[in-house]
Amino acid sequence: MLRFEHVSRSYGSRLAVDDLQLEIKAGQLYALLGHNGAGKTTTIKMLVGLLRPGQGVITVGSYDAVEHPREVSRLIGYVPDQPFLYDKLSAREFLQFVADMYGLSAAAGAAAVAREIERFHLGDFADRLAESYSHGMRQRTVFAAALIHDPEVLVVDEPMVGLDPQSIKLVKDLLQSYVRDGRTVLMSTHTLAVAEEIADRVGVMKTGKLMFDGRVETLRDVVEGTDGSLEAMYLAMMERLDGPAPASE
Amino acid sequence: MTKHRGVAESSMSEAALPIRVDANIVMRDLPSHEREGQIFWRLRVRLCMAHLRSLMAQARLRTSLVVGLSVFFWVGLFALFYGGFEFVVKHVDAPGAPYHAKTMQFIFSLFFLSLQVMLVFSSGIILYSGLYPSHETAFLLTLPTRNERLVDYRFQEALFFSSWGFFLLASPMLMAYGAVVHAPWYYFAYLPVLLAAFAYIPCAVGAIICLVLIDRLPRLRRVILGAAALAIIVIAYRSIWRTLEMTDLEALGRSWFTETYRRFRFMRDEWLPSVWLSHALLDAARRSNNNPKDLPWFESGKYLIVLVSNALFLHIVVGGLGKRMFRSSYCGLHSRPARQPRTTWGKVDRFVSAGLWMLPPTMRVLIVKDLRQFRRDPVQWSQFLIFFGLLLLYFANVDRFRQHRENPDVLTWVNIVSFLNLAVVGLILSTFTTRFIYPLISLEGRRFWILSRLPIDRDTILWGKLLFAAGGSWMSCSVLVLVSDLMLSVSWVIVALHQIVCLLLCIGLSGMAVGLGAIMPNFREQSPSKIAAGFGGTLNLVLSALYILVVVLLTALPCHFYLLAGKSDGQPKLLEPTFMNVWMLLGVGCAVLVTAIVTVIPLRRGLQAFRQLEV
Repeated sequence: MLRFEHVSRSYGSRLAVDDLQLEIKAGQLYALLGHNGAGKTTTIKMLVGLLRPGQGVITVGSYDAVEHPREVSRLIGYVPDQPFLYDKLSAREFLQFVADMYGLSAAAGAAAVAREIERFHLGDFADRLAESYSHGMRQRTVFAAALIHDPEVLVVDEPMVGLDPQSIKLVKDLLQSYVRDGRTVLMSTHTLAVAEEIADRVGVMKTGKLMFDGRVETLRDVVEGTDGSLEAMYLAMMERLDGPAPASE
Repeated sequence: MTKHRGVAESSMSEAALPIRVDANIVMRDLPSHEREGQIFWRLRVRLCMAHLRSLMAQARLRTSLVVGLSVFFWVGLFALFYGGFEFVVKHVDAPGAPYHAKTMQFIFSLFFLSLQVMLVFSSGIILYSGLYPSHETAFLLTLPTRNERLVDYRFQEALFFSSWGFFLLASPMLMAYGAVVHAPWYYFAYLPVLLAAFAYIPCAVGAIICLVLIDRLPRLRRVILGAAALAIIVIAYRSIWRTLEMTDLEALGRSWFTETYRRFRFMRDEWLPSVWLSHALLDAARRSNNNPKDLPWFESGKYLIVLVSNALFLHIVVGGLGKRMFRSSYCGLHSRPARQPRTTWGKVDRFVSAGLWMLPPTMRVLIVKDLRQFRRDPVQWSQFLIFFGLLLLYFANVDRFRQHRENPDVLTWVNIVSFLNLAVVGLILSTFTTRFIYPLISLEGRRFWILSRLPIDRDTILWGKLLFAAGGSWMSCSVLVLVSDLMLSVSWVIVALHQIVCLLLCIGLSGMAVGLGAIMPNFREQSPSKIAAGFGGTLNLVLSALYILVVVLLTALPCHFYLLAGKSDGQPKLLEPTFMNVWMLLGVGCAVLVTAIVTVIPLRRGLQAFRQLEV
């Protein structure tokens, strides 16, 4: 469903994504891990059309992300790390606008808005202006907007930040049920416990390179000497990639 | 590293599975061009209505103030232009006569050409800020929005925000002209369409320049672009000044007008939209000369069609460029390397800190912190540089009266100009204190937990802001005022007086901005420009303007009478030379008193509010 073929992107002389090769099949939940500045958000921004690859090709379904940005955005639902809402629109109006932009008919749009309001429990504040929302309320509204057109691919950048435990559970269940329906999720996160719990595959990026791509179990075979949790394996792997620690006196 | 290689190998084995492209994905039809336009129009209407409702509910006073001041401004301009056009009709020629047409053509062409240039710049800059660094644009780009629609949506905003001032200036002027010359009904009917079509053209040109520039020159650093823009402004400024320069002709005399008219022939070139508009207006305003073939409404209508068709053509060009260039230029711009702020200015900070030895150490630290923030924020220092740089250029050239030194009329003009220059410096400073000083407390409030955890008295924070603002502005403003005075060759008494008034203005304007900012903080808003545009900011700007007017008048009038004293017969005894020093001292004393009031009252209230602040 998603394919990155030798994709690179630099900011001036700094290589943010370096020759990325990645394929994510339909029905998979892929968690992209890495330190700050590892290239996760750049990868996602290239996928959703906010940046263009300097080299390589990104394909979503059968569409090239650069050549057919509208068709690609129709297939993708995107939840950014910094959610945007119109302060002077209510959640209902915002969702209606997004539904209209995806070409949903009036009846289908209304049904989709009602569905997402119910799914994300937005009912209490759906008709209030977004300027009064808390971060969690904003995040839930943005999730609802990303799913309003029932996309084939859900791209989520740091999904759990600012959510309360109930909303985190809701999002985790949602992502899992999404891939069970045969659709695809690409998630970038620092919440390793969540990645371990729900991801089918994980990718570990460092300085723009994809250092690991596989199942968590595979990582256990590769990184030895830890308690087997993703967090411990991730930290051990990063330590090794950083090179030997300076000798203590 | 061996382990690492193993990691990479295992990843590839699992990732190299063949991709399954699902051909059965149900694809809905995306909105057509027309439907997309309707959706964005509905969005715009909803946002506008919500803004209006919010303004009426939460900021009725501010809205009333803005509307009231705008109406006042409009009526004032109408009266001013009415008087001016009556003067032209009375002293130059009646409507329909060749000299009248020539004079009005000159006035309209000059006025509209100047605004045309400004509209190009302002729409380009506003479009850039709406289109490229905006979160909304990033959101809309992730939806299936057509590039040209997005550009069009943002361009509408740029058009509105850049041209409202044009309408506010041009509409009273043209209504006044129509009223003075008793223009026929179609003059007033054409007017809105003519103005809208005219404003659209330079705004579209600004948009085209913005799109092409960002697409072709994404890697140029802002400093280089800023320097280039400044160089263009300076060259244009010098050219205009040379055009106006006439040393051997009697100022404002017949030959001066003739020569000026000749030198400004470039602005009457027929390819300029400002000339089309001028022709359209003059034709629409004149009466038919009883010749059946003379149809003013038709002649004017032809220019109207030229303006509208050019506006529509440029609309298509903007759309076409948006479609071709926008997304690539957006991606190009956002792929630029992040600018690393220089930290090599440590010596300056240490120098400033040492210079403030008389202040408590905590206050010194706060002032140096504010200085660093100012230095590292290009929005602040670039605006500061542009406005004060332009003023400096103007002051450096303001020596046109030197050749008529002995003439008492010229001497009084020099005095008026020197005080007007002082007032201009104050007014520019008031926009800076409103835009950058007033929001400081609101912005500090968002990070207030840092300051409240430090062992700093809250009063120190406010006093630090006042000293930073007053000290920083005084250093630049006093130089500007000094240059103006030196170029005008005013007496040393006036130079000293101007320096005192300049110091008063810096203290008063800074005190008012800091005090009002603390009295009316807005902790919900993150954008300083929006904080400044709120009620408190508007109030600060209005009060600042009134304060400048009062202080400058208090000191300018005694000087004016001082220059006139003893030069005419039959003047009142109190205006005789012996009383003039008393008047001047009284004027300065009153200015000091007014400054004390506008500084102390807001600061006291601000300090009280800031001490009780809970964030």
